[in-house]
Amino acid sequence: MEEKLSLLKEQLEKEMKEIKTATDVENIRVEYLGKKGKVVEILKNLKNVEPSKRKEVGQKANKLREEIENIVEQKKQELKEKEYENRIKNAEKIDITIPVDDKIGSLHPITIVQKELEDIFTGMGFTVEDGNEVETEYNNFEAVNVPKYHPARDMQDTFWLENGELLKTQTSAAQNKIMLKYGAPLKAIFPGRCFRNEALDASHENTFFQMEGMMIDKDVSISNLIYFMKTFLSEIFKKEVEVRLRPGYFPFVEPGFELDIKCPYCDGKGCKVCKNGSWIELCPCGMIHPNVLKMGGIDPEKYSGFAFGLGLSRLAMMKYNINDLRALNSCDLRILKQMKIK
Amino acid sequence: MYISINWIKDFVDLDGIDVEKLIYKFTMSTAEVEGITKHGQDVDGVIVAKVISVENVENSKKLHKLMVDTGKEKLQVICGAPNVREGIKVAYAQVGSTVSGQKIGKAMLAGQESNGMCLSEKELGISDDHSGIIILDDDAPLGENIKNIIPVDDIIYEVDNKSLTNRPDLWGHYGIAREIAAITGRKLKPLEVENLDLYNNLEKLNIGVEVKDDENPLCLRYSSMRVENVTKKQASWKVKVRLYYCGMRSINLLADMTNYIMLELGQPMHAFDEKVVSSVNVKTLDKDIEFVTLDSQKRKLDKGTLMICHEDEPVGIAGVMGGLASEITDNTTSLFLESANFDAVAIRKTASKLDLRTDAAAHYEKTLDPELTKIAIARFIKLLREEDKDIKVTSSFTDIYIKKYPHITIHMDKDYIDKCIGKVLTMDEIVTTLTNLEFGVKVDGKNLTIDVPSFRATKDVSQKADIIEEIARIHGYDNIEPKTNLWKISPVPKDPVRELEYDAKEMLAIKYGMSEVHSYVWYNTELNQELGIKVRDNLKIVNGIVKLDNTLRREMAPTMLYAIDKNLKYMPECKIFEVGRTFDYEFDGKDAKEYKVLGIGLASTKQTEKELVYEAKSMIDNVVNINRNLNAKYENMVNIQYNWIHPVNTFKITVNGKDIGYITVIHPKIKDAINPKASIVVAELRVDTLGEMIKRDISYKEVTKYQTVNFDLSLIVDKDIKYSQIEDIINTANMKYLMEYSLVDIYEGNEKLQNKKTVTIRFTIGSYTGTLTKEQIDEEREIILKALNKNNIFINE
Repeated sequence: MEEKLSLLKEQLEKEMKEIKTATDVENIRVEYLGKKGKVVEILKNLKNVEPSKRKEVGQKANKLREEIENIVEQKKQELKEKEYENRIKNAEKIDITIPVDDKIGSLHPITIVQKELEDIFTGMGFTVEDGNEVETEYNNFEAVNVPKYHPARDMQDTFWLENGELLKTQTSAAQNKIMLKYGAPLKAIFPGRCFRNEALDASHENTFFQMEGMMIDKDVSISNLIYFMKTFLSEIFKKEVEVRLRPGYFPFVEPGFELDIKCPYCDGKGCKVCKNGSWIELCPCGMIHPNVLKMGGIDPEKYSGFAFGLGLSRLAMMKYNINDLRALNSCDLRILKQMKIK
Repeated sequence: MYISINWIKDFVDLDGIDVEKLIYKFTMSTAEVEGITKHGQDVDGVIVAKVISVENVENSKKLHKLMVDTGKEKLQVICGAPNVREGIKVAYAQVGSTVSGQKIGKAMLAGQESNGMCLSEKELGISDDHSGIIILDDDAPLGENIKNIIPVDDIIYEVDNKSLTNRPDLWGHYGIAREIAAITGRKLKPLEVENLDLYNNLEKLNIGVEVKDDENPLCLRYSSMRVENVTKKQASWKVKVRLYYCGMRSINLLADMTNYIMLELGQPMHAFDEKVVSSVNVKTLDKDIEFVTLDSQKRKLDKGTLMICHEDEPVGIAGVMGGLASEITDNTTSLFLESANFDAVAIRKTASKLDLRTDAAAHYEKTLDPELTKIAIARFIKLLREEDKDIKVTSSFTDIYIKKYPHITIHMDKDYIDKCIGKVLTMDEIVTTLTNLEFGVKVDGKNLTIDVPSFRATKDVSQKADIIEEIARIHGYDNIEPKTNLWKISPVPKDPVRELEYDAKEMLAIKYGMSEVHSYVWYNTELNQELGIKVRDNLKIVNGIVKLDNTLRREMAPTMLYAIDKNLKYMPECKIFEVGRTFDYEFDGKDAKEYKVLGIGLASTKQTEKELVYEAKSMIDNVVNINRNLNAKYENMVNIQYNWIHPVNTFKITVNGKDIGYITVIHPKIKDAINPKASIVVAELRVDTLGEMIKRDISYKEVTKYQTVNFDLSLIVDKDIKYSQIEDIINTANMKYLMEYSLVDIYEGNEKLQNKKTVTIRFTIGSYTGTLTKEQIDEEREIILKALNKNNIFINE
């Protein structure tokens, strides 16, 4: 009986060597360990074994069964591993360089820049206001200290409408309404589309975007204006910018300034953006004219403030290195699709 | 405006001052400088020489062979100028000299050696005249550097006119010199003028000024004097070169001198030939007339235009331009001098209407100081006498002064100044600055009483803020340190419409791959015609440069179609949106209503119209939902107002019962005009209305702990039954355990079922209190089947 057992083991090991598939393994398992398998047969015949050896043979047979189970299990694992290896080896090789659906759309560059600025200003406690595009002559001109026949009207060729109103030439057109709405103190920005009756070329558009801001409180000084402009321009350009003020004439401010920044693209060394001038004229600003405050229902003896204007179209052009203003209103997706979302 | 540094030096000593640094300071303290030109740097070694002989050159009609005497040597020069003659003194560019930046060498002309050349004014860079060579005065010393005879060297800087709009005092060199004196801290020299009192005994001139409105006279002051015995015809080199460098052309002595005074003092002057104009009447036209101006143009003048008349005959348009008939000619020896002040608005209106923006008009519209008229005459006579010593003044100073501007005094204290600037300045600095700018200043402790000089008092300086500017700009804005204050900070309320706008834009771009565009707010008439788009009449622009495109958009759709039309030329697909304004001009009212509208344009040569409509619907659903949590309802639109709208496939969008837009397939006629192979769908949505709707709060709905059951029903329905009709049946069937249902599929391809379609719907049923039994499930199924059968809808077995 014992001989039979060791013969069985030898025979199994031999058979195992030739095995190739999981089915073969299963067949062998059945052959040896199944209900009618060879090992089970031996165990069944234990009763024919001499009682004194019965225990020993029984143990050996059980041990053999365990061994066979292990061999089978091991073989199964081996085969499975091999199968995985084969599957991996034969897997289709994916070409990652093939173009895929990268269909994310695009926001207009003005929207992107405007949102960025609005976020900066709301973070600084400014409300965002909306103006109309069709405005009254009063709001666009008179209320910002530009009476009829004032030479300053030359600076802005106006689209006049048949009802005597106009397409607003400047975001300042909203100043009066906002002052009347909120009174002082006041911190507001008001971005919007503006219009000038001009022939189009690379640097002139009849439709463009500005953003204007006002801050009115007690004791607002020129020094405060400089601080403020420097702070938010540094936010916009994401670096500390150097600013300088020059006198500039805008009827709704007194004193009025042209604010230049040291070119943030070349740090003033001279480049394409600043046309080698090292300073970029960026933003008209000034202390709000007492007449404008008065017309807005705010007492200039009690309150003072500053106002500033930013050319959104200009900033968008700077940001994306666009050299033709007309690109912005072109509706040309070959251009606009390049802008993405942020 | 061009500023000559030589001219400035007449009034301020600039010795030891770096001119470029000075110009930079001017930019930082007064007005923007647009450019600097250095004249004369490209000219070197040009001297005075005398032409001692002139011979014709063989085989040349034009060229002459000259001998010129430089005082040191006699040289042969070949010259082509028609005005060359023996005995004249010329500007001679020797061999080795530099002209227009070019080295002059020996040359061979028509086989003859030429040692250098005789220069024209253009070659010397002092005018555009190239008709002949310069002929110098006989007393010019031989061999003298030409720059000592003609002031060729000068630095000219150009000031941006716009930045001088509010500074009438800076429209002349003397005013600029005053600024420069204040900037540099040097003294402004007093203006040298003729003492007009010397002529008080002479006869007065005959001047009449019509005044219709005492408060707002059109002519504020008219001053005049008569000068006779003017024999010189040409102004000196100094005057001619300065005029040229400052952008004017030399004409003749008298015209040049009036222009010179305008450039020096900012006061326009006019010289009439006294033989034609011996007396003056200033009055408005009582009828429309035609009038020939100095530039030989016949112009139509409206009734009411202010004119200068001799007796009743108009001789000049006041403040704009003189008439041709009374022009100074070479024969003029006596002149009637006008130095006047006119109403800025009236001059501006006239000049705009005539499209005749002369230098005089540009000065007057800045509101000049009427005090200037007398100073200008006194200066004119002084300078004219320098040009022509034989002139005779034959009248007394005659002056009609209608309106004086009130004298302005401003009281303020130093603390206020410091507070506005945000820096503490010394009283000394404040007083010096104001005094240098010719303000009168009285100090009493911290209080200042400031007298505004007349040339700043016409409109420029009237209140405290104006004084702050004077002090701060001369102090230098660069010298003010940035400082913050601790203002009260309060939270910022968000504008719901704006928030929606951004959210919607981002979603359309990210989720749907759409591109945002910006179009124009008016219709494109030409494209409308080309594509067959008919728009309704709306508010119009009356003065646009492009005359055709004058109608403001009432709908977004046409501007979306323009963009689609443009892009489909380059790409098979165009999916765009814009949030913009549309305008609704109510003719019974005066104002245009303005709406904020989302326009969506979908065009594709690869997708069907149906697919695009569903894409648009998905977008609208999500825009409505994105931050308001609302739902949109759609129904066929009945009232069709526009010809781009598809008569059948057009859908009205409502939210909370409010009409907020539509989706439409584009009418095949217009679509084919854009691209016959494409499907095009547009949608409009009123974001302003939607943004103002109240957000629907979401409250959590419990999920059942028990197993739910799904079953599908395939319903056979008529082809034109709408899904919403089936929904209505489901929603009113009173099912007990319905959790949700959804559309699985709609199939129309079954040939056995003509005019029918199969709609498969998945029902999910369940209970919060236990797992459903088989009986409960069957019962639920029965309820819905019964409801469907009642509506003649049966299931596909």
